[in-house]
Amino acid sequence: MPETVRKTFVSLLVAGSILAGTSHYCAAADEPDAALIQRGEYLATAGDCVACHTRPGGKPFAGGLKIATPMGDIVSTNITPDPDHGIGAYTEEDFEKSVRHGVRKDGSYLYPAMPYVSYSGLTDGDVKALYAWFMHAVKPVAETPTETSLSFPANVRTAMAGWNMLANHNPPETGDSATFEKMRRGRYLANALEHCGTCHTPRNFILSEKQDQYLAGGPLDGWYAPNITSSKTSGIGDWSEDDLVQYLQTGAVPGRSQAAGPMGEAVEHSTSHLTDADLHALAAYILQVAPQEEEPGQKPRDSFGQATAQPDIRSGDLTRIDDVTELKGGAVYDANCAACHGYDGAGASNRYVPSLFSNSVVGASRPDNLIMTVLYGVNRTAGKTHAFMPGFDGHSDVQRLSDAEVADVVNYVMAQYGNGNPHVTADQVKTFHKK
Amino acid sequence: MSSEQPLSADVVIVGSGVAGSSIANELARAGISVIVLEAGPRVDRQHFVENFRNLENKPSYQGPFPAVPWARHPPNQMTPNEYLHTTGPDAEAYQQVYLRMMGGTTWHWAGCAWRYLPSDFELRSRYGQGRDWALKYEDLEPFYYQAEVMMGVCGPDPAKEDLGSPRKQPYPMDALPISYAAQQFRKLIAEKTPWRVVHEPQARNTRPYDNRPTCEGHNNCMPICPIGAMYNGSYSVYHAEAAGARFVPNAVVYKIERDDANKRVTAVHYFDPDKGSHRVTGKYFVIAAHCIETAKLLLVSADDKSPDGVANSSGHVGRNMMDHTGVQVTFISGDKALWPGRGPLETNVIDNFRDGDWRSERGAYLVHMVDDNQVDLATSLAISKGYVGKELEEQIRYLASHTVRLFSHNEGLADPDNRLTLSKTNKDILGIPHPEVYYKLPEYTVKSCDHTRGLFKELIGLMHGRDEQWTPGYFPQDHPAGSTIMGVDPKDSVVDGHCRTHDHENLFIASSSVFSSVGTGNITLTVAALALRVADTLKKELNHA
Repeated sequence: MPETVRKTFVSLLVAGSILAGTSHYCAAADEPDAALIQRGEYLATAGDCVACHTRPGGKPFAGGLKIATPMGDIVSTNITPDPDHGIGAYTEEDFEKSVRHGVRKDGSYLYPAMPYVSYSGLTDGDVKALYAWFMHAVKPVAETPTETSLSFPANVRTAMAGWNMLANHNPPETGDSATFEKMRRGRYLANALEHCGTCHTPRNFILSEKQDQYLAGGPLDGWYAPNITSSKTSGIGDWSEDDLVQYLQTGAVPGRSQAAGPMGEAVEHSTSHLTDADLHALAAYILQVAPQEEEPGQKPRDSFGQATAQPDIRSGDLTRIDDVTELKGGAVYDANCAACHGYDGAGASNRYVPSLFSNSVVGASRPDNLIMTVLYGVNRTAGKTHAFMPGFDGHSDVQRLSDAEVADVVNYVMAQYGNGNPHVTADQVKTFHKK
Repeated sequence: MSSEQPLSADVVIVGSGVAGSSIANELARAGISVIVLEAGPRVDRQHFVENFRNLENKPSYQGPFPAVPWARHPPNQMTPNEYLHTTGPDAEAYQQVYLRMMGGTTWHWAGCAWRYLPSDFELRSRYGQGRDWALKYEDLEPFYYQAEVMMGVCGPDPAKEDLGSPRKQPYPMDALPISYAAQQFRKLIAEKTPWRVVHEPQARNTRPYDNRPTCEGHNNCMPICPIGAMYNGSYSVYHAEAAGARFVPNAVVYKIERDDANKRVTAVHYFDPDKGSHRVTGKYFVIAAHCIETAKLLLVSADDKSPDGVANSSGHVGRNMMDHTGVQVTFISGDKALWPGRGPLETNVIDNFRDGDWRSERGAYLVHMVDDNQVDLATSLAISKGYVGKELEEQIRYLASHTVRLFSHNEGLADPDNRLTLSKTNKDILGIPHPEVYYKLPEYTVKSCDHTRGLFKELIGLMHGRDEQWTPGYFPQDHPAGSTIMGVDPKDSVVDGHCRTHDHENLFIASSSVFSSVGTGNITLTVAALALRVADTLKKELNHA
């Protein structure tokens, strides 16, 4: 396992990086009450801070995750309360400035992979609770991740001041967020905390979220965060509130979709921990977001395909053990996918393994998420269920497929169960390899 | 090929099965340079799965693995055989199968991962039979655990089900869920007999482990796990390669070269498939080429300095061939339906005949209730009874759901007369002789099998069984052992307690070939534990150097 694993926000120019303060001034003063700390913990979970601020295998919030950008790698920072390596020297005011405004203690600007344009919507009370939790409940870790070094001009942090003026910021909320009525609470969760738009909203030429296309879909790290607006054909307007709650809580809704990649992580670390009330609020809000239509005559992503009727009575020639020639799509499916997903694509009867028809990933017009799933698999824990599918890339221990085989099986699966053959090529698959 | 760079490494390993690849992985991770020479080719799972699906005879373990001509393995368990030639009064009982290819024979095994009992290492001193090992259970205990972590072994909570091999840590994974058939069988044994059914430890995922998925009970562990939920040596190959070990496929080692004093091995020589010869030098050498091929290689390497073969001053290379001999019966239960075949093949074992004072008289054994799909057997039985049409369908359904298969692993015993030699008449395309094995079942094993037959008859009675089909005679369980036997005395053994050959200080053997007794469980976990102990010894010696 390498020291750090890259997380790429292809669409993002640059990402956030809070450096440890150089001052040894200790900010911690009076011990805040337990309820405030507990609230902070819940908010930090809802904001999914851990997703970026922990490297795989690393200590929580100690940073070190590499976030690849066109300008170079951004390394997330240590946000534990260690005074030298983390944010232990931050006052609540310093903390508020970095979280809501993207300005760190030394006055320099953060890169906006740190979603301060979303967190800007936090209420004062919630910022206070977050601060209390980070300072008093997170375990300090005395390690400094390697520093971000970007190429010019992105390495000039002051340039971010100009970007901040142009970029869209989430307007701040006021009052006690715990008492918000359902729809307002849902909007608050979606925007100020879960920052759904960071991935699901396309970005403009300065890489700021296009608010007029809120949640209309965008690419990241090889995956594609799909249109989750209320469009009944391009989005998830055909989902019920309960469907969406189930998805956010468990990561899967049989017959509709399942989460993998970054969304799998979001479910695992964040949404599966939300209260039922919050999940319903979040779902209700998302389901009333203005519809964004993609193409006329489109069908919903989860409406494609059906079980194929293929009796498996056969015999054939055997190949010698040294014959490892590439297989064609149907044979790749038969040898690697059918054992779990079934000859007919119906998945497991207990739905642990999803069906490939009536599946948003296979029914999408873009093959991105299917390619990524074949290459890197699924690894998502929510509640007691650990959903796992092995990857089939060049590092797989189960089966290493060539790019041509991956392309072929993706074309086969989408032709058989999805939105038609996307004619993916081996060269195209190559662009999905993790750098 | 003369222009190529000579191959050289700190440690040169022959064989890439569970033993060779796990040593390579440990050493490479410790920064030691390693070359692994594998006689067979690189392989991949998907072609085996396709072969299995295209195979007419599904239970054929060797079926999906047609060998390459330069590294043949037995094509089947038939006697006479095209490759492993067995002779003697019990020739058919030694018709072993194994695989020569990257990852080795664990491509088709049932994942049974027993630790041996402390008594298995002390058969002579405790029961006056066979031989003692030159090590004790306690010496191997930490390596057993290391092997369990490496392979991903699931097993029962030791506090609830003590399998007799003391453990310092729990199993890396929780036990498997018990299938319906096994639940019925457990209930019967618990209620109507003084015996017990235990959960067999399994190198099989009961949760996602080591980037491989959870077992889904496809029920064809043998011949091929279609999803990678069961351990096989290829994972250790991949891990070792990622750590920097170099694997050379299609490298058939045929000669072990020693220095003038005949004390140290200086190189091994291998043929490529075109019979081009290559020399590989190193500081240490490990032969980890399976019990049969390891002995064969030592014998093939005979020369003026060692006319009886390398490491063979004792004359015991190729002798003491052992196995777990099997007794097998299938029958139709007269009780309610069991529906076997849902879950892994072998998970439920009666272990009451694993150890006892009677081991001074007869061998120990395990009884497996084999949880495999019985549709093929049920179909042939129903057809033989003359059923047609709708009745045939009903009978297949009835018989498949009521068939019980029991088999045993009966303990063999080291007997120098049971011997592997080089065939004088059969050679492969490289000119290397095929192996030949003379086998006569030890009385100790025959008595054990007789006892098993009595037990099976009792169980058939308890289940109101009919249509008994006994597999004739004795059949091999593919657990060959003993061909380079371990012992304290260099006069009657080949390796010492650290698996180092008595004759050559830098030559080790990692294989069931070193077993002094064949033990009372499937052999693989003990092979892996011994291999990891060899790796530990090599790490210490190389770091001292």
